[in-house]
Amino acid sequence: MIKRGITVFALALLLAVPSAFAADGAAIVKPCGSCHKLAGPAVKTIAEVKARKAPDLFYAGSKFNKDWLVGFLQNPTVIRPAGTVYSNNIKTTGDTDTVAAPAKCASKLSAGDAAAAADYLMTLKDAKMKTGVAKIGEFSKAKAKMLIIKTEACNGCHSIEGNGGLSCPTWEGIGKRLNPDWVYSFVQDPQYWDPKVWMGKRDLDDASMQLVVNYIASLK
Amino acid sequence: MKTIVISKFSAAMFAAALFLAAGMVGSASAETAADNYSLYCVQCHGTAGTGKGINAPYLAVAPRNHSDAKAMGELSDANVALAITEGGSAVGKSTQMPAWKHNLTAAEIKDIVAHLRKMCKCTGAAK
Repeated sequence: MIKRGITVFALALLLAVPSAFAADGAAIVKPCGSCHKLAGPAVKTIAEVKARKAPDLFYAGSKFNKDWLVGFLQNPTVIRPAGTVYSNNIKTTGDTDTVAAPAKCASKLSAGDAAAAADYLMTLKDAKMKTGVAKIGEFSKAKAKMLIIKTEACNGCHSIEGNGGLSCPTWEGIGKRLNPDWVYSFVQDPQYWDPKVWMGKRDLDDASMQLVVNYIASLK
Repeated sequence: MKTIVISKFSAAMFAAALFLAAGMVGSASAETAADNYSLYCVQCHGTAGTGKGINAPYLAVAPRNHSDAKAMGELSDANVALAITEGGSAVGKSTQMPAWKHNLTAAEIKDIVAHLRKMCKCTGAAK
């Protein structure tokens, strides 16, 4: 009788352990709120933008690919060469601006915590974002580059394939990082996501948008 | 006494109207020209406005030097406003200058043109 009781207790303990020790993604992410905005809406003034310490995460589940998030949370890298808000990281010598070293995310999670945090972040979605709009498949890279580099000059602000401006996020590995549907939405209307973002809205038709999202998705 | 009561009521109504109006302005988020310049223009044109922003080394065409009185003086205010509104291609210049019409209101663009005139210490050419 006693033996059976011990066995039942041990079994119950065994079953309870995984849930008791499973990392709580929300709790892991909560301290990130000291720098990242974890709840909307986005700020609406330049003063508020300049006070931003780190990118908004309240729509992380719409924006990111989960696999990338899990890796990044374990080993954060610099995505914005001039920091979250480029104008806060300018060093002016004479009449020439250069970039002062931007602050890097100090948090580094274990594999288990990163997976739990990513699970939670993926729940932070924008309900209005259309999904299934990006049609990823075969595309003309030459046409895409003509549009992106020559016509829209995205490389003026973004580093693309190792060359380009510093005020906006690098496109290195961007295909791993971003959800193509979010890219479609952001390029179509950056101000929907961030009213004062320093990127001009483009008037592109769907065929052009598909070239942009396919090219970006290919950069892995 | 009655007059005072009415005045207080009117003042309260005026304050409420002002509050609502302020809220509307707040949602539109009109900014000063200096603030708009510091966020949208400085990335290429630079803090000093001399065309030496952090993106400038990566641009095929050098950004305009807003402190150059001669070059800026050759442009009309309408031309400058059009370049900001519709982008460089609208005035026969580089496509690397994007259209800012979705970021800035017409009033804000007008203010930026005035701000540029202060930077170049020049007046615009006649159309």
